[in-house]
Amino acid sequence: MIRRNQNSIMNKHFNIPATRSTPEIIADWDAGLVSMAGDSYPENSFEFFTSTIEWIKTYLAEAQRPLHLELRLIYLNTSSVKAMMDIFDMLEEAHARGRAVSVDWLYDPQNERVEMLAEEFREDCSFRFDITAEA
Amino acid sequence: MGVMDGGHLEDEGALLDEIGALLAEPAHEGNPLRPFLQRLHDLHRRQSERLLRLVRISDGYHGMARDDSDALADRIEREVRRLQKLARISDLYQRELREQSEAMRDASLKDPLTGLGNRRYLMQRLDEEAARALRTQRPLCIAILDVDEFKRVNDEHGHDIGDRALCGIAEVFDDVLRDYDIVGRWGGEEFLILLPDTTLDSGMRIAERIRAQIAGLRIEDDRQASNQPVRLTASMGLSVYEREKPVAATIARADDALLSAKRAGRNCCRAG
Repeated sequence: MIRRNQNSIMNKHFNIPATRSTPEIIADWDAGLVSMAGDSYPENSFEFFTSTIEWIKTYLAEAQRPLHLELRLIYLNTSSVKAMMDIFDMLEEAHARGRAVSVDWLYDPQNERVEMLAEEFREDCSFRFDITAEA
Repeated sequence: MGVMDGGHLEDEGALLDEIGALLAEPAHEGNPLRPFLQRLHDLHRRQSERLLRLVRISDGYHGMARDDSDALADRIEREVRRLQKLARISDLYQRELREQSEAMRDASLKDPLTGLGNRRYLMQRLDEEAARALRTQRPLCIAILDVDEFKRVNDEHGHDIGDRALCGIAEVFDDVLRDYDIVGRWGGEEFLILLPDTTLDSGMRIAERIRAQIAGLRIEDDRQASNQPVRLTASMGLSVYEREKPVAATIARADDALLSAKRAGRNCCRAG
């Protein structure tokens, strides 16, 4: 319970502003929402995504509410692709345990390549994973 | 009896049973060998049971190892599938980057209005063609074209018509020039033409055709009440690349020739 309280304070809400090489990430504990937008090619992707992965892990373990991911990711380098696959695996596991998880991947209709990429990510996911063009 | 033939555990069991039955018979009670055979019989049966147990345990371990290796193979297969997915997605991103960088390179060398090469493109090609001329010892002719009184076109008819005029001139190049000739927009209303493998005389003939076709252009100006099409002329200065001199010197001579053409009353070609 002590851990939970600490985590709740620490992780409740976080907001990483976008940089040239990293996406904006907003995690909202009360809304059960993680949104990520932009390009991702950080110097150290594993370190960069640690807080997000930890937050999702904690949320899935402690909050009993649904989790929704809203993604507007454009370019991802290989280790960012790996991090996203890890996140989707966590969601898939949670889904298998009966948790409500869902992903919305929104893309600019002018960039159809992003749609194709999102479809590749979706391949092994059995939870709701929508890919939508955003005007 | 044949019981010893096989040496299988089952046969051995049968033999032990038979010996057991013989030992139990009262007829052999007084036999002095009987206690010894009895001891041997008991010892053998215990060892036989022990052996069976050992085989069972050993089989169990084998089974566990097999299950483990099956689970490991499954895990490896899953990991391989994951890595393949990672590589596939990563390749797609890489392809996108490559295409983007190619598109940017194209754009960085192109004049967006006329679709011709821009000054940067021309600088690159100038160096390449000069090097080729040097290597092959063939002449390289260059021509600079300037639209006469272009400012007047823009002022009287507006920039849209001016832009349309420049595109019309680009079409003339497309019509007159050979596949291996190179042309681009050098500046505002200036174009640079590279004519590889071309003497000054041949270059002058090509330039003359370009000049004549431009003089024949009619650019429609639908906003004019008179509906008179806009007419254009252009002046050109030519020069031939001289080995062991910088390319810039060739351009300077073509520029001088262009100035002569302008001074001679425009709408003509001059060689420098």
